[in-house]
Amino acid sequence: MSGDQESNSKPADPFESFRAIRDAYLDAMAKTMVEAVNTEAYAQASGAMLEGTLTAVTPFREAMEKSVTKALEQLSLPSRQELAILAERFTHVEMRLDDMDMKLDRIEKILSRARSAPGPAEKDASQTSVSQQAARPTGVKAPATANRTTARRRFVPAKKTKAMGK
Amino acid sequence: MEPAVVSAEPLRLMEERLRTLNRVLTTKAPIAQTPKELVWSLNKSKLYRYVPTAPEHERYRIPLLLVFAIMNRPSILDLRPGHSFVEFMLGRGYDVYLLDWGAPGLEDREMKLDDYALEYLPRAVHRVKAISGTEEFSMLGWCIGAILTTIYAAMRPDEGLRNLLLLTAPLDFSNRNGLTFARWVDEKYFNLDLVLETFGNMPGEMIDYGAKALKPVENYISNYCKLWDNLDDPRVVESWHAMNTWVTDNIPMAGAAYRQLIVELYRNNRLMKNELVVRGDRVDLSRIRANLLTVIAAGDHITPPCQSEAILSKVSSRDTELFRIPGGHIGIMAGSGARQTTWPHIDGWLSARSR
Repeated sequence: MSGDQESNSKPADPFESFRAIRDAYLDAMAKTMVEAVNTEAYAQASGAMLEGTLTAVTPFREAMEKSVTKALEQLSLPSRQELAILAERFTHVEMRLDDMDMKLDRIEKILSRARSAPGPAEKDASQTSVSQQAARPTGVKAPATANRTTARRRFVPAKKTKAMGK
Repeated sequence: MEPAVVSAEPLRLMEERLRTLNRVLTTKAPIAQTPKELVWSLNKSKLYRYVPTAPEHERYRIPLLLVFAIMNRPSILDLRPGHSFVEFMLGRGYDVYLLDWGAPGLEDREMKLDDYALEYLPRAVHRVKAISGTEEFSMLGWCIGAILTTIYAAMRPDEGLRNLLLLTAPLDFSNRNGLTFARWVDEKYFNLDLVLETFGNMPGEMIDYGAKALKPVENYISNYCKLWDNLDDPRVVESWHAMNTWVTDNIPMAGAAYRQLIVELYRNNRLMKNELVVRGDRVDLSRIRANLLTVIAAGDHITPPCQSEAILSKVSSRDTELFRIPGGHIGIMAGSGARQTTWPHIDGWLSARSR
């Protein structure tokens, strides 16, 4: 009885009856295909096909690019290439800013070390001012570094991807 | 004669299965859910710090930086809640950072491996050290990410890299008969200049096709049969859905970096021969001194084991280990067995070297 119930609750699967045959066929096919793609003939054929396709498409692509560039020029709009150049320049500026940030980090680290371990000559002269500055131990982030780091950090909450079908 | 009783149940279940199939094939699963902060960015690259979950006194001092490939999303490292390497490592007390290279645009077509390894990576490392307040760090590179971390480790051996973990690292290209990719991209057959002239960057779809064509029946047929056979098992369905979401999210590879990968590595094996030149300097693998763990997937068809073994004899590191594990290129880190095998081994190795 329970067996009847189980068979009734199973979904009707049109592939059920020949699953074993299917798997055996796929296994054999998989081995053959792995061998086939690992041959010089396949490499040659796929290379030739790719080259043929790209060569055939190139004149159309170039013509299309030219006409789009011309149309954009007429409309006083930047082309894809021009936007790419602009983006490249932005990256360079970003890189320079990052360089400055790294330099500031180093300067702050040096200053932090100097404050926590004053030399014997300056020890007497600046005893009062150093003690006023409440020296930080080595390795502790200077406030400015911490501020810059915190300002740059942004909390990224768990991504909410739409779960469909529920 | 009694009329036959026709149950509507099988039809209802069939309808349910088809609905599940439709959902899985037409929607994206929620992946990369572990909370994180953006702590640095440059161009398309972003450095994230995951919100620590272990109490402060139980955390390791040395932070861990994860570096994935440049032509796939790094979300595979944080696939789904309850099955995420990042989540696992956070739970074990690591301060985890992830460098996401982002998707290159046309403006990035001249970006080379040099730029990734010696311009972006050192800046991210600097930020990791500044935030964690330590001069030392561990770095895990996976796939092409392992090439980049290896170049970095060889070129910047004095910047505090204590532990280097390489997962399925394609570093040695000497065994050309064992590498199907090497055969496909041979200069006799593959017109690299035409491809890059046409597209600028190497399109993600072409890279994806290349990876799948290595095992066409498994990737284009058996994979879907497995889903069909298990449509009644929510665990298998959700796992398949998450993996499919990651697999189908392809990004292009920067043109110049792709050219280097093909010409310098696949065709001429320059990295392993210590002949690769980046930023005008030769990459000498013997300069790597960090503790080294190399993880090899025995059944890897994308990076066969022969590509990752030789590195151990090239470095100067005193503390080295090769960990060979059954499984495929992605499966060893994101498969159902990873939590019991690969992750605990990485944790065990790293914990002893992170204090």
